[in-house]
Amino acid sequence: MSPDFSSLVHWILFLPLGAALFIALFLRRAGAVAAWLSTGVAFALAALALRLLTVGVGDTTWHVELAKLGDISLGFGYLIDANARLMLFVVSFVAAWIHLFSVGYMRDDDARGRFFGGLSIFMFSILGIVVADNLLMTFVFWELVGFSSYMLIAHYFDKDYAAEASKKAFIVNRVGDLGFILGIAFCLAHFGTLNFAELGALKPAAGWPWVLGALLMCGFIGKSAQFPLHVWLTDAMAGPTPVSALIHAATMVAAGVYFMARIAFLLTPDLLQLIAVSGAGMAALAGLCALAQTDIKKSLAYSTLAHLGIMGCAIGLGRPDLAVLHMAMHAFFKATLFLGAGSVIHGCHHEQDMLKMGGLARKMPVTTAAFVAATLSNCAVPFLAGWYSKDAILEAAHASNLYLFTLLGLAAVATCLYSARMVRLVFFGPANSEAADHAHESPWTMTAPLVVLGLGFSVAAGFAADALIPAAALARVAEPLRAMTFHATSAATIVGLVALALGALAFRYYGRAAGVDSLRVDLPRFYGVLEFRWMDTVYGWYVDRVQRRLSEFLAFLDLLLINGVAVRWLGAGVPAVLGYLTGRTLHRGQTRLYALSLVVGTLLLAWYFLAR
Amino acid sequence: MDSLDFLHANLAAVAVYTPILAGLVLLAGRRLPAGFASGFAFAGFVLPLLLGVWLVAPWPGQKIAYQQLTSSGSPWGFDFGLNGLSAPLFLMTAVVGLAAGIKALVQEVERRNTYLGLLLFMFGGTLGTFGTTSVLGAYFFHEFALIPTFLLTLFWGGAGRRPAAMQMAIYLTVGAMVSLAGLLLVLGAAKTGYTSTWSELLNTIDLRVVPAAAVGLTLFGFGVLASLFPFHSWAAPGYTAAPTPASMLHAGALKKFGLYGIILVTLNTLGGAHGALADWFLAAALANVVLVGLICLAQRDLKELLSWSSVAHMGPIFLGLWVTGVTGRPDGVAAALFLMVAHGLSCAALFLLANGVRARAGTYRLDELGGLAKQAPVLAALFVAATMASIGLPGFGNFWGEIGVFLALRDQSLWLQAAVASTVVISAVYALRAVAATFYGEPTAALQQRLAVAPVADLGWAERVAALLLLGASLLIGFQPGLVTSQTQDYCKDIAKNVAETLPAAAPAPSAR
Repeated sequence: MSPDFSSLVHWILFLPLGAALFIALFLRRAGAVAAWLSTGVAFALAALALRLLTVGVGDTTWHVELAKLGDISLGFGYLIDANARLMLFVVSFVAAWIHLFSVGYMRDDDARGRFFGGLSIFMFSILGIVVADNLLMTFVFWELVGFSSYMLIAHYFDKDYAAEASKKAFIVNRVGDLGFILGIAFCLAHFGTLNFAELGALKPAAGWPWVLGALLMCGFIGKSAQFPLHVWLTDAMAGPTPVSALIHAATMVAAGVYFMARIAFLLTPDLLQLIAVSGAGMAALAGLCALAQTDIKKSLAYSTLAHLGIMGCAIGLGRPDLAVLHMAMHAFFKATLFLGAGSVIHGCHHEQDMLKMGGLARKMPVTTAAFVAATLSNCAVPFLAGWYSKDAILEAAHASNLYLFTLLGLAAVATCLYSARMVRLVFFGPANSEAADHAHESPWTMTAPLVVLGLGFSVAAGFAADALIPAAALARVAEPLRAMTFHATSAATIVGLVALALGALAFRYYGRAAGVDSLRVDLPRFYGVLEFRWMDTVYGWYVDRVQRRLSEFLAFLDLLLINGVAVRWLGAGVPAVLGYLTGRTLHRGQTRLYALSLVVGTLLLAWYFLAR
Repeated sequence: MDSLDFLHANLAAVAVYTPILAGLVLLAGRRLPAGFASGFAFAGFVLPLLLGVWLVAPWPGQKIAYQQLTSSGSPWGFDFGLNGLSAPLFLMTAVVGLAAGIKALVQEVERRNTYLGLLLFMFGGTLGTFGTTSVLGAYFFHEFALIPTFLLTLFWGGAGRRPAAMQMAIYLTVGAMVSLAGLLLVLGAAKTGYTSTWSELLNTIDLRVVPAAAVGLTLFGFGVLASLFPFHSWAAPGYTAAPTPASMLHAGALKKFGLYGIILVTLNTLGGAHGALADWFLAAALANVVLVGLICLAQRDLKELLSWSSVAHMGPIFLGLWVTGVTGRPDGVAAALFLMVAHGLSCAALFLLANGVRARAGTYRLDELGGLAKQAPVLAALFVAATMASIGLPGFGNFWGEIGVFLALRDQSLWLQAAVASTVVISAVYALRAVAATFYGEPTAALQQRLAVAPVADLGWAERVAALLLLGASLLIGFQPGLVTSQTQDYCKDIAKNVAETLPAAAPAPSAR
């Protein structure tokens, strides 16, 4: 790699860190300046990323050794390959627009400095994952991403739910990271390197051990909120909406998919099958669960879970190219959906309950247009961005396993159902609350990103990919993208069209009554099953009934046995014997005497040394 | 020895004796005016850091100079000098001591001059522990620093200070005596005798004549000093009761003498802890990680939690030492050393900032705290940063130490690795729980009343400087781990080589692959 190239990556990586540092030190009280500084840096990053995409082809690397701990080399370096180029474009481009959106959305927030500093830290962390050339460096930035997510979820820290959610997100992610760490250690022990390129060049005679892939996959399960560690993502919606859009929809959760795509060669067939089944299962279930949420952001969070499941399934099908393609398309339309939700929440004076919205189409036309466009893309309407990737994955599933195909088909249906419900409840019908009645369109800083991402990329990123996305970023996915054609008779297309038709029916169904959820009225028990948080209940039971009791029991035992029996017995026994032997002259419980003897003893020792 | 080297050698001694002399002045001049005393004390706190940085900084052409520097034959009483192992610990002590000193200077205490004088004694003793090249000298300085620790706890401590100070005194004295017995056995076998320096001991000792008992005596004697399970009972109540600067200095720096002793004596001269003893060491170290980690979860008091967690965080350090002891590879001890330095910084920062919480809320009890981030955002931000440092967030030094220990264990069984690495989850649970209970949510009713009567201000500038000093140092070695490893690397390799020579000839190490 030419020095030019690496210095460009240095700038991309460290510019946001510098911005965050500057904000933390000097702009804590100057929110507006911090907002524009952070946003300016985000756009500068996007420009630098575009520049990087025009220089260099193929896999380019740069590496230094930060330090050596014994035999362990702590490496820091860049690997810019086709996956990284696509991810770099998606992250920097989407993030820049979300920064701009945040300028408007957070205008009245007192802690804007902290917020934008956090966004910049996040940019530093996620870009580090994108460019990292080895497992250890990936892990470093993986942890930093977890920290920035923690910090931004806790933005409204005076609310108990935000405090809880931030803690939960960090801890659940760390459970996954535990496996990641063990995977790194395993890799180093067995293959002697952590470098992606060097690992890729190895061809172990006995094949890759499944343990390695399984351990590294734990990190993906945590970060990308895959079953059974998915529980944190819906709670993470406690953060400000732009954070949900950027971190908990478009980029950070997708980083797990990106990581899996990078180490796809390490995954054994059994493991792939497991990922495929778990991903497809989660896609179907989470899609249905989205039907039973009235909070617009939580419903979207379940939608994100479903799409992450679809991406996981694509990895499992042995098609990481489709997974990263879907990651990119999903980033465009899901970011729009969250930003649209943010615009709606902003317009409705921080109302998030969809049942209290309604009739916003006339009051917020730009938001509505972008949201509907992104929704149609989400539902995989042919030739919109979402269709290119989702239909391709359905097709791949159909070619490989009917069971997976059925699950993904169910997910496609669920997507159309919850999307229709959401659009119907929020934008059409009568206004169901004072706040919705007085809603207003958002300022340009918020609508501009909606137009670009929603009306532009969510719609056209598929068929006009060559015009919208730099060629270097497309290299990884160009082939499946070009191969997509509309066959009215292919199984995936038929399922997709049936799902859309069901979605149209759902649109009518949810329009029957205002201010209530029709499904809840008609099938309360089914709704209840979808709404209930099964895994949270299991974890809650473990924490309260097992972990807490165990720790209290251990603390008690420590006090009783070690501190009580052993120490007191020794503490009472030894001095008693000594006291008896010394005729009870020395041990009278006089602290000063003890201190004095310590001093005298020390002085004697000192004298011994000085006089020798 | 040219004049420059002579100067440097004596600078190390000056760094050690300056705080002690300043302490003597303050102890003698109990009626010195406060401003004068503060100036004197501050000089004593700040000078060692300046000298330490001057000594260790990689000036052109001087990289090796400090490593051999020694004040042999000088009038200081002991030989002073720094090497790759002691230099990072010495500098860390200087940073922690300055932060503790700044905190002490802004505290309102009775008999302030005596208080500051004792703290300066403690500081100077801790510096001497790492700054002297004499084996018994290090032991002497450790004892020298312990006495003011007890006195500070006894007379200036918080609730329960009497039993805590007594328990601490008995434990640490017994631990020190046991390790002294082991040390004397080793030194008796050394050609250079009782006045050996570390390097003489390491280079000339004949391992065949060292009594076997020395391994156990030094391992568990030093283990007591570093709160190895089950000899940890002194630590939590002691740190909880001790005044904050003393907790910072002891938990951060002085306690590391126990680990320093295990590295230099138990591992190096005795070729690691072998056989059954190694298994006991492993079991105890694992208990530090898992059992004490779980005990941390049960804590309901912020300072007790920090005290317990400083015991739990010794676990990975012990395991790093253990793995070098049984494999003869340098990774474990190198990572452990890194973690010792980083933990000193983060742990001192947490004690410092927790006191800031108490100063505002009047309590350490977690169920009576809450919502302080609104009133004191800077305190909250620094506390979160220190917490993140202590649970091994990349960017802070602790990360390299922790991950280094995990990676050093890579050839052990997966279950052992998982048990050790479980600390990343357990420590995150208790640490973030404490952060949330202290700073997030709404203040409790009792706290709200208190805040209504006496609104609190954010962290004062002096404490900000102290906290930033500690966290800044941690960030520095987090971003540039080479600053530490470039010094420690050769020494860790030598130690590993010494261990490997005494290991029973086994199959070639897996790293040969």
